Amino acid sequence: MEEAAQIIIGGLLQGSVFAIVALGFSLVFRVTGSINLSQGAFCILAALAAVTLEQTLGWPVALAAAGAIAITAAAGFAVGAATFVPALARLPMSSMLILTAGLLTTLEGLSLVIWGSQPYALPPFSGEAPVTLLGVRLPTQGFWIAGAAVLIIAGVWYLLMRTAVGEALRACAENPTAARLMGIDVSRMTLLSFTLAALIAGIGGIVVAPIISFQFDTGRFFTISGFSAVAIGGLGSMVGAVAGGVMLGVAEQLAAGYISSLFANGIALGLLILTLLVRPSGLFAARRTRREDVRDEHRVYHAIVRLEGRGALVFGAIAVAVLLALPWFVPDAMMSSLIITGILFIGVLGLDILMGYTGQVSLGQAGFMAIGGYTAAILATNFGWSPLLGTLAGILLSLVCAVALSLVTMRLRGHYLALATLAFGLLVDSLTVGLTDVTGGPSGLVGVPSFAIGPIEFDTPARMYYLVAALMLALVLVLLGGVRASFGRALQAVRTDQTAASALGVNVPRHKMAALAISAALASLSGSLYAFYFHFLSPEMVGTSRSLEMIAMLVLGGEGTLVGSLIGVALLTLLPTIFQPLAIYKTFAEGAFLVLAVRYLPGGIFGTLAHRLSTLRAASPPPAGAPASRGMAP
Amino acid sequence: MSVPQNGAAALEAVRLTKSFGGLRAASDVSFVVPHGSLTALIGPNGAGKTTIFNLVTNFFTPDSGDVRFYGTPLAGRSPGEIAALGLVRTFQAARIFPGMTALENVLAGAHLHVRAQPWKQMLWLPGARREERSLARRAEALLDLAGIGRFRDAAATELPMGAQKLLEVIRALMAQPRLVLLDEPAAGLNDNETAELAALLRAVRDSGITVMVVEHNMSLVMGVADQVIVLDAGSVVASGTPMEIQRNQRVIEAYVGQEAAA
Repeated sequence: MEEAAQIIIGGLLQGSVFAIVALGFSLVFRVTGSINLSQGAFCILAALAAVTLEQTLGWPVALAAAGAIAITAAAGFAVGAATFVPALARLPMSSMLILTAGLLTTLEGLSLVIWGSQPYALPPFSGEAPVTLLGVRLPTQGFWIAGAAVLIIAGVWYLLMRTAVGEALRACAENPTAARLMGIDVSRMTLLSFTLAALIAGIGGIVVAPIISFQFDTGRFFTISGFSAVAIGGLGSMVGAVAGGVMLGVAEQLAAGYISSLFANGIALGLLILTLLVRPSGLFAARRTRREDVRDEHRVYHAIVRLEGRGALVFGAIAVAVLLALPWFVPDAMMSSLIITGILFIGVLGLDILMGYTGQVSLGQAGFMAIGGYTAAILATNFGWSPLLGTLAGILLSLVCAVALSLVTMRLRGHYLALATLAFGLLVDSLTVGLTDVTGGPSGLVGVPSFAIGPIEFDTPARMYYLVAALMLALVLVLLGGVRASFGRALQAVRTDQTAASALGVNVPRHKMAALAISAALASLSGSLYAFYFHFLSPEMVGTSRSLEMIAMLVLGGEGTLVGSLIGVALLTLLPTIFQPLAIYKTFAEGAFLVLAVRYLPGGIFGTLAHRLSTLRAASPPPAGAPASRGMAP
Repeated sequence: MSVPQNGAAALEAVRLTKSFGGLRAASDVSFVVPHGSLTALIGPNGAGKTTIFNLVTNFFTPDSGDVRFYGTPLAGRSPGEIAALGLVRTFQAARIFPGMTALENVLAGAHLHVRAQPWKQMLWLPGARREERSLARRAEALLDLAGIGRFRDAAATELPMGAQKLLEVIRALMAQPRLVLLDEPAAGLNDNETAELAALLRAVRDSGITVMVVEHNMSLVMGVADQVIVLDAGSVVASGTPMEIQRNQRVIEAYVGQEAAA
């Protein structure tokens, strides 16, 4: 009984923190229609800043906390003003989601550079001694957490409902165009909501810091929990954010207390998926989320990259020649990076079909890598299956999961799809960590054999290289065949205009499912090869950071071009190896590249280059086929 | 000329009714589009013309009433299924797919008729490639027919407005419909382009495809239509040949009254 009370109180405290983060989410979503995935990073930024102020500069805890919150709010203001606000006016919502994922990574990378990767702790504000109340021991920090939560909830309510600024914020949420006509500065309100959300997150991070251990990337845990809380409660609903946060906290603590802490995440995510399935708009859905339709996909990138006829043949021939010759020219130390580039490229190819061609954002692609990697590795290592059969089994399992996932998401649009895939990735992640007996748990699965097809073993870097290169070529060729024919046109039609697509008889759900299945199969293959190449697989190799990294690679290289993403994969894989001392900047650079690419290179590096080339070519000879904007030809 | 090839009903709407809140967008609308005809649906702004198209193709579900397409009831069918039956529509604002060339947009119209499965396309099988080439030839022919062949490889969204409207029309034709519903195809077209469109519409009708068109351009309507249906405030106020409509007192009132009020 006492234990149960202890657990529930722990859950309420954790839930309060989730509720705080969720409130920030809801605030930004209400005002902008966008989900801000960087939210959690501000929690940890505040906590880490407080550590520096308290321990390095010797400030008293209270002062350090206040200073850290101020720093976080200032950081929120700067990040919002430099990236989020200007981007919001130009980008479709799917790109905003990716942009904020990039911000999350950037802030984590920055924390890594400043504070390193070691864990930190902050002393409780009111001493270590717990208070005993009715036989239940309460950490004094609990009062700080609960107090902060109540204060923030009351503060946000008062601001929104009782002040002129709040009225303006709500007007932006209802209808930004009308708000603008009424003389409300929508950009300023957007910036205000973003800064407020960072401030709220900072307070949440500070009050919870003394009861957890945290490091540079703990922020994503807050992002994910806050995001899940918001989704369970209902996007845009303030009551829902609080209720969802508390429910999630209690559920996680109960799971941790009575089952295993390793499954705590899994239970929460199961709850999330269940909510999405039964009541996709959340338990306390806001009246409506019209904003999603107001600013939508008409802002997708319109430029066209096509290599036709001879150009494509020449380009292809050069690419094949370079691919075959590369091992002779690179030092042996680089071979490994090249092979990893190829393996990841296979996964990113699938993501391109899903995101670039069909317009479906997946934040959980590494979940399929994990399924493929672990299935193949476990079957080959512990059950003596041949690696090829294991890989195929992994692909099959991934396809089953993809179909199941697409049945869940079929009715969902916009943010909910990204959310469901994120939950899926995290669920797989927590299973790989939790099922220690099968997967080896956090320390990973060791002794995985080399890949083999019959008697041919791919046990040297050179062999593996040519295997991966051959697969890459074959897959690019196959997918090119598909996207250049009616199948690809249907996918693109679904991406840009589902209504017009269905009016032409395109079965929209079926094409979404096909795209997800293709991406799942390729991610699975990539995960299997990854495990066989390293002879090892651990959860963080195929975790959510990997999902975000794959998105960064795709967006940086160029969406919707198939081959373009190779540039992104190569850059983000090879740069850290070439410049070893800079490896600590990898996370930061990944995030920053993603933000910059989403914001300034809508076609990615490949798209931008190809566009430049084609305009150059069109400018030199007389423009035979170029559009003229005068009257009709006779 | 104005006599349909045969009198059978291609499309038949029976007492279609739809309200949005307190507004009756369509009340008891009944009409018949004879097979082989070119029927125009006209009426002042807000008369409910586009609503009728949305009801017929089930983009909106009618509150009551039936639609039959060559005798097949359309109730409960998705827009995609309706397209598969051979009833294809266009949209008032040209809904061209961005990120594709003009040719690819037209080809997207052929989606229902592509035989080769995706896996055959992925393996570049000869049958699939042959089919692609023959579709491309048909699409090119249609582009030329509409007079926009020179935009073949241009980004579709960079085309002038008139060309985009024509592009949407031929994208619908690429689906080989039995009946095509065109929502204001002449909006945004200049006089030359409108003349091209009139020729295109006649050619379509003469090729055996029944056409129903919502249009504001009276000279276009009176020049090409076999049958005109006049809608005002959600109800049919008149229908008949262009000659009959031009003399109809209620039609003149509906239009003149509208103009005087505006």
